[in-house]
Amino acid sequence: MSPNEEEPAGAWQGLSRLSVWADAAVGVLFTAPVAIGLTIGLALAPWAWWWAVLPVPAAVLVLAGTTYLDLLRLRAVRYRVTDERMEMRSGLIAKAYRSISRERVRSVDVAAPLYARVFGLCTVTVGTGEAAGAGGSEQLQLQFVTAGQGEQLRRELLQRGPVPEAAGEDGQSGSEGEDEELARLDPRWFAYAPATGATLGIGFGVLATLASINAQTGGEGWEWLSGRFGLPSRAEISSFIMGRLLLLVPGALLALLFLGAVVTLAVAVETWWNYRLIRQPDGTVRLRRGLLTSVSLSVEGRRLNGVTLREPFVLRSVGGAEVRAVATGLSAGDDEKTAAKSRLSPAMPGKLARKLAAALLRTTGSPFDPAPRAHPRAALRRRFTRAGTAALAGAAAAGGLAWAHVQVRGPWSGIWSSVEVETMGVPLTSGAAEGAPVWGWFAAAVLFGAAAFWYAAGSYRNLGHAVHPHHLVVRSGMAVRTTVAVERSAVIGWRITRSPFQRRLGLADVSATTAAGEGQYTATDVGLGQGLAWADEAVPDLLAPFVERVEDQDGQPERPVLP
Amino acid sequence: MSDQVLRLRPPRHRVDRRAIMWWTTRALMTTVAVTAVPAVPAVLVEPIRSWFLLTTAAVAAVGLAVTVVMPQWRYRVHRWEVTDTAVYTSSGWVWQEWRVAPMSRIQTVDTARGPLQRVFGLSSVTVTTASAAGPIEISGLDHTLATEVVDQLTETTEATPGDAT
Repeated sequence: MSPNEEEPAGAWQGLSRLSVWADAAVGVLFTAPVAIGLTIGLALAPWAWWWAVLPVPAAVLVLAGTTYLDLLRLRAVRYRVTDERMEMRSGLIAKAYRSISRERVRSVDVAAPLYARVFGLCTVTVGTGEAAGAGGSEQLQLQFVTAGQGEQLRRELLQRGPVPEAAGEDGQSGSEGEDEELARLDPRWFAYAPATGATLGIGFGVLATLASINAQTGGEGWEWLSGRFGLPSRAEISSFIMGRLLLLVPGALLALLFLGAVVTLAVAVETWWNYRLIRQPDGTVRLRRGLLTSVSLSVEGRRLNGVTLREPFVLRSVGGAEVRAVATGLSAGDDEKTAAKSRLSPAMPGKLARKLAAALLRTTGSPFDPAPRAHPRAALRRRFTRAGTAALAGAAAAGGLAWAHVQVRGPWSGIWSSVEVETMGVPLTSGAAEGAPVWGWFAAAVLFGAAAFWYAAGSYRNLGHAVHPHHLVVRSGMAVRTTVAVERSAVIGWRITRSPFQRRLGLADVSATTAAGEGQYTATDVGLGQGLAWADEAVPDLLAPFVERVEDQDGQPERPVLP
Repeated sequence: MSDQVLRLRPPRHRVDRRAIMWWTTRALMTTVAVTAVPAVPAVLVEPIRSWFLLTTAAVAAVGLAVTVVMPQWRYRVHRWEVTDTAVYTSSGWVWQEWRVAPMSRIQTVDTARGPLQRVFGLSSVTVTTASAAGPIEISGLDHTLATEVVDQLTETTEATPGDAT
């Protein structure tokens, strides 16, 4: 491979020269169609002929300029890995020098998008877990280095102390033999991919985009299509729709579902193709995945402080779950990116996900299996109060809508329907207002109220907390149920918050703060005494000096309801 | 658990009494600023003056109520304690919060004093851990005491082993 791989540790290295070509290739890919399109457009336009000659040379100039700048940037970037530190110099005008202790390296992320992979390149992102300090970015990124350099960096940075020479030099064959495979893709898991609430949304988005394109071309898009393929005209369709509203709505929903399923399936295949999760002999957990963009993420075993079992409602109802890491040094700017980066498995059968989680935590008997302790009945009362408020608001809204409905049907009907015909071409809502009964709003409000109470009961049932030999466990959430197991030794403090309502009901939110993952994991609406006992059991001696035992004079019921 | 339940005992020390004045001044300043928003058009705009005056009165009433109640309430809640093994604080008024951090996990300790705190001779001590849940803050301490607390904390954390993560 490249001569760089033979370089001894400690020498300054640069980015790969090929990265300029990779960037240029992407540039061409994006600018060429624009330039050609402009040329054709200008050639057809009734202007002087030389306008049409301009776009292509201009594009070439811009590309040459950016490529030159890219070359300068590439020359400026230098990095090296010494025994103690990783150092990086960069910047043309504002020179930057960053140096991080290798002790602080928590994760190494090697990604190769398709266009970089063609050139044998990859991006290396080094996570340092120093977010708590000053504002600066906690990541070091090299874009691009050769695949060989990337692999070397990944291996070097996550090795601690003096490593046996053999393992360092032989690389692949020597150490990979003892790798423990934790999970490997089963293509059948892709069946879980469409089981998201987003499926409907994505399908709706696609249809809405098509409709808006049609509207923007003033309906000509449809006229053209119908003229060409002998489809019915708009007037015919609108009368057809009005005639068969009952057939159309379920039909459209089915189409939505189908479109959503296709999109989510495609995304899952691109993300999780070739998925493999292994633990290397030194404890490092390594994830590989991706069809077009291949991703490799290594997390040092010591920094993997826990695991989250994530079960969104739709996925949960078909028995699926996904596994995420709770690790230090994985945070990447904002919460959403962090969450995306900490995914350790695709949606998979719940039983396997639990097994995988236990394997990741190196515990026999998954901490997720036994039922967690239930929260006091007052927590259920709180949720019912919220559901009641929502139901009342729903009833009020239904009243308002019913009033508006009567108005639209009565005095305003003529005006409104003519406005609709003018803007949309179809008197959709006024037609529906004629057909639909007013009591429908109240039926909807009743359904909404029932759903709110069902949601409240479900979210109470999903509350739970527990202590295991090495982990503490919290569970919550109805729309997305998350069960988090965090190493007890990773807890770096407690935070107890109480709102006025919680104080009145004897409840509290008890959070374990940690350097890993989201920073704190909360047992929501736990009984105060119960929560403190849990915290005291999970991390002995920390909370004990600040807790007192008192006789239970106000007799808060701490017994569970709803198993 | 029979009849015994666990409770948090309040941390040992109250904050300085001058903190009440500090909180009052701060709340008063906020109240004046927020009240000015509807008050200015109430003076300038003729036609719907009564509405603006009504809004001004409502905002001022709420602001003044907070100014009177909040500092006393906070003074009863805000407490702190530093032992050989941990830092323990309570804060808030309507929504209350208790925090515990062990010495071995403390990363940095520093004091900060805004212009208003300086007027009253007060300081805040901020104790940072590696958690994203935010630092622990003891606000409204006497300035000399705050310096002593920081010295004590620095000494103890240096003596305690651990890499703070």
